[in-house]
Amino acid sequence: MFRQENRKTRQMLASGHIGYDEKNPYTTTLNFYKVPPTLNITIVEFEQFALDRMQILTKLMNGQLRNLPPAKLEASMNEAISKHMPMSGNSSSGHGVTREQVLERQKDYISHFIVRLAYCRSEELRNWFLRAECALFKYRFERLSQKEQLEFLETQHLSWKKVSDDDKRILRENLRSTALSSFKSGNAEDETYFEVDFEKVPLLVGRRQVYVQGGKAYVPLAHQVSLVLDEFKERLSRDLEAMGRALPRMEEDKRLMPILNHLDKQYLGREFTSSAIAGEIQAQDVDGLKVHMPLCMENLHNELRQDKHTRHGGRMQYGLFLKGMGLSLEQALIFWQTAFGKLTPDQFNKEYAYNVRHLYGMEGKRTDYTPYSCKSIIMGNTPGPQDHHGCPFRHFNETNLRAQLTSHMVDEFDTEDIMRMVKGRHYQVACTRYYEVTRARMLGIGTETLKGGGLSSNGGSEVASQELIEHPNQFFEQSFKLMRDFSEKKNGANGDPSEVQAVPEPTIKGRYTYRMAGPGTSSTSNNMDMDME
Amino acid sequence: MEIDSTQDATNGRMPTVEAGQPVDDDEDLDHIFDDMDEDETSAPAHNPWRPVHAPLDVHNVNLSDYGGDNSLKLKLFYRHFFPMKQYIDWLNYDTVSDSKLSASDIKLSKTFMNREFCFTLMDDTYIRFQSYKTVDEFRQELTRLNPAKIDLGAIYNIRPRDKASVHASAFKPMSKELVFDVDMTDYDDIRTCCSGGDVCMKCWEFMTVAMKIVDSALKDDFGFKNLLWVYSGRRGVHCWVGDERARQLNNEQRKAIVAYLDVTKGGERQGKTVKLPNNLHPSVRRSYEIIDEHFKNIVFNSQDILRDPTHWEKILTLIPDETVQQTARVEWEADPDREPSDKWEDLRGFVRKAIATPSKRNLLEHVLRDIMFQYTYPRLDEKVSTNINHLLKSPFCVHPKTGRVCVPIEIENCEKFDPTEAPTTETLINELNQYDTDHPGSNLQDWEKTSLASYVKVFEAFVKGNVKSIRSTKQAKAEPTLEF
Repeated sequence: MFRQENRKTRQMLASGHIGYDEKNPYTTTLNFYKVPPTLNITIVEFEQFALDRMQILTKLMNGQLRNLPPAKLEASMNEAISKHMPMSGNSSSGHGVTREQVLERQKDYISHFIVRLAYCRSEELRNWFLRAECALFKYRFERLSQKEQLEFLETQHLSWKKVSDDDKRILRENLRSTALSSFKSGNAEDETYFEVDFEKVPLLVGRRQVYVQGGKAYVPLAHQVSLVLDEFKERLSRDLEAMGRALPRMEEDKRLMPILNHLDKQYLGREFTSSAIAGEIQAQDVDGLKVHMPLCMENLHNELRQDKHTRHGGRMQYGLFLKGMGLSLEQALIFWQTAFGKLTPDQFNKEYAYNVRHLYGMEGKRTDYTPYSCKSIIMGNTPGPQDHHGCPFRHFNETNLRAQLTSHMVDEFDTEDIMRMVKGRHYQVACTRYYEVTRARMLGIGTETLKGGGLSSNGGSEVASQELIEHPNQFFEQSFKLMRDFSEKKNGANGDPSEVQAVPEPTIKGRYTYRMAGPGTSSTSNNMDMDME
Repeated sequence: MEIDSTQDATNGRMPTVEAGQPVDDDEDLDHIFDDMDEDETSAPAHNPWRPVHAPLDVHNVNLSDYGGDNSLKLKLFYRHFFPMKQYIDWLNYDTVSDSKLSASDIKLSKTFMNREFCFTLMDDTYIRFQSYKTVDEFRQELTRLNPAKIDLGAIYNIRPRDKASVHASAFKPMSKELVFDVDMTDYDDIRTCCSGGDVCMKCWEFMTVAMKIVDSALKDDFGFKNLLWVYSGRRGVHCWVGDERARQLNNEQRKAIVAYLDVTKGGERQGKTVKLPNNLHPSVRRSYEIIDEHFKNIVFNSQDILRDPTHWEKILTLIPDETVQQTARVEWEADPDREPSDKWEDLRGFVRKAIATPSKRNLLEHVLRDIMFQYTYPRLDEKVSTNINHLLKSPFCVHPKTGRVCVPIEIENCEKFDPTEAPTTETLINELNQYDTDHPGSNLQDWEKTSLASYVKVFEAFVKGNVKSIRSTKQAKAEPTLEF
């Protein structure tokens, strides 16, 4: 199967445009992705499709990891879907499938296989992909009308053994109390039940949402999605393994392998380039802005102040972060020279000035480096014995991390919460949680409104990070903006200002212009001047 | 995957000794070299647990001379009492061997050969990932190492000994019995008669309830037929589900079964850990009936939980209503000697009165039922069951601390099982000597002459059941027999 696909993928790339596949009718928005595509696409499309799909998958996975309330998850998914991979259902078009719909569904189909290629390489990647694709499938399935669901099941020839009316009568009492025990109405007679092996529906069994007898689980129609999902998962898991075994045959492909190898490490968020805001903050402002920094940067800053030195990895990570914050080259030189207080200006100029200029693309190969994203900090250069760079959630041991959290007034409950995420290796989710908890404390909002992502009242929703923290500069900007908006609101309203005592406003000596970096920012927020004196 | 026999033979002499957690499966290949040293120290004559003059003749041994010498007792146990043939038949999972056949002549199946054995030696060294190709090899190793404990792990895709010959990711657990572990220490917060490692008939009732509930759920709900309940040698019980279907379960499905059986939520600090819906799931309702039979005896008689204030406070704090708590407190403090069962009835009355207020109804209606669950429902050690490659102590080990044999428990008579009566090596030796004096020239197996015989019978029934279930699934699949 795979060899065929390998050849086809290459064919795909040869002629350079997507054809209309007559054999694949795409009757619904769902797909079991059984047969690999045989269409032609360009290498640019190949990469773009993959990245677009990754956007959706990561958004969904992160949303679920963070336990976002359904409405919020829905909103953020809708946004991502319409931006990266629009999908329109059949009902909107009446009858038949329009050409746009075919193209949309084709993109979904092709991109699935590209990402599958990239994620079949190791057990860990396969597991992630399996989870993500199942979540996406479930997400989509649940949003179809019952009619569409049935149509889809028909096209896939999926059916399970229905419980006959006679059997239902015998089981009635048990089916009824099972339904009642999971807070459903116990109208067992009208409900359609399927009889399947209990192994097929582990989640429903684990939650005692089905009646189990003699090794059979009795699944009501309402939980049919579990059955479909099980089928989807089983097939995908099997195909993934087969593809993983066959992948070495593709190693010689010089065009596709680099794309595939980097897909899982790719940073998908926006770039925090410094050009737009360079020169806006002064070297002496940095200390005051520490409160807005993520733990990794704050840690580097503290170590820098304490040791009056930072090793190379730290200078790269922190220097670029400051650059992303808006520290100009001139100011950066001042900052680092003062920071390295043990050195004479001469020594500094000789040994480190080059380094700082290099960060700003003024030396060597003159690359204008962008600040590191969380992904590159977490997966990149592992810190050695005297290094302070890296991600505290990833690279600190448990004791140190706990100590750090305690010193930032994270209470016991939240600490456990964060540690749990860390243990599950969801470092960015942990950081996001840290953001929410600490910002809430700064604003004097009880953290209990933040629990489980449910942030309805008391300003909790403002503190909640809309997005997963994926970039240290995102953490900084988000925090800074939050504090500014909050203090503006406090000053504007005639509320009791003493209510919020603990807002540590950035103490900036000079004039600080805050501007969102990167594209896609609304013009109103572009030039918000703030005089803090 | 095939290793030529010379290489394998060297492997056989070189057990992977690891001083690590028995469940930790991240191995370092470097360890192989440490092993050789440790192995050497375990063989020569100065070995503390192999006395030079060890009189291995079981009839002449005077155990009092060797009071502290557990290794001698162990050695005698493995030599005379370990039911080798039944044990091999069990782990072979293909056929029950002819009763005339001696254990050494049994051909091992792939299931046996790919099974992980883990030995814990007298000096607490773990030797993981052992596997055997012949019965004699296994028997010799058992005598040579004289392990204080045998743990059984999963059946892997290749022989665990050959693990180092393949890439770590290519060494995969394929199947294992579904197992459960219930330990009395998990009941320490509600146990008043004993604590820690001690156990008596009073607290053993917790285990009886656990066995009954888990057994009926596994049989009635999940359709399993071959369950072996085993006394863990000290203060708990293990369950081995031998059905083919149970052995093929993946981790996710094992987790589902454990979650299905688990009614407690929240950790230690949470006080009230059981909150069941008003309408019980049929399976939980059946468990409730079992609990109802035992609750009164456990709580009022053997554990006496409503007798004095420190204990009854524990129950009162579980009731989320100040008025009920206070009423009961006042009432009972005025008359502390009131019978516990009467106090429970008091509580029922107070709660009934309280739920007349509609706003309290939801919170309090089933609170006493939930307390009954919290006090008597089995507390399972989840990790043992949910991870396919988790180790569990094998049946027919001798517990190093108590000296008791981990004997099977007949589930139909589980109420009669008394852990303090379980045979020890000493009682077995005495019984054997007694029997041989009374019946000279008997050609029975040594274990058959002792009280171990009845326990081996239970085990045999389990082994036969497994083979039967395999045959029927094979027939169902209409496949030709693969092995013989």
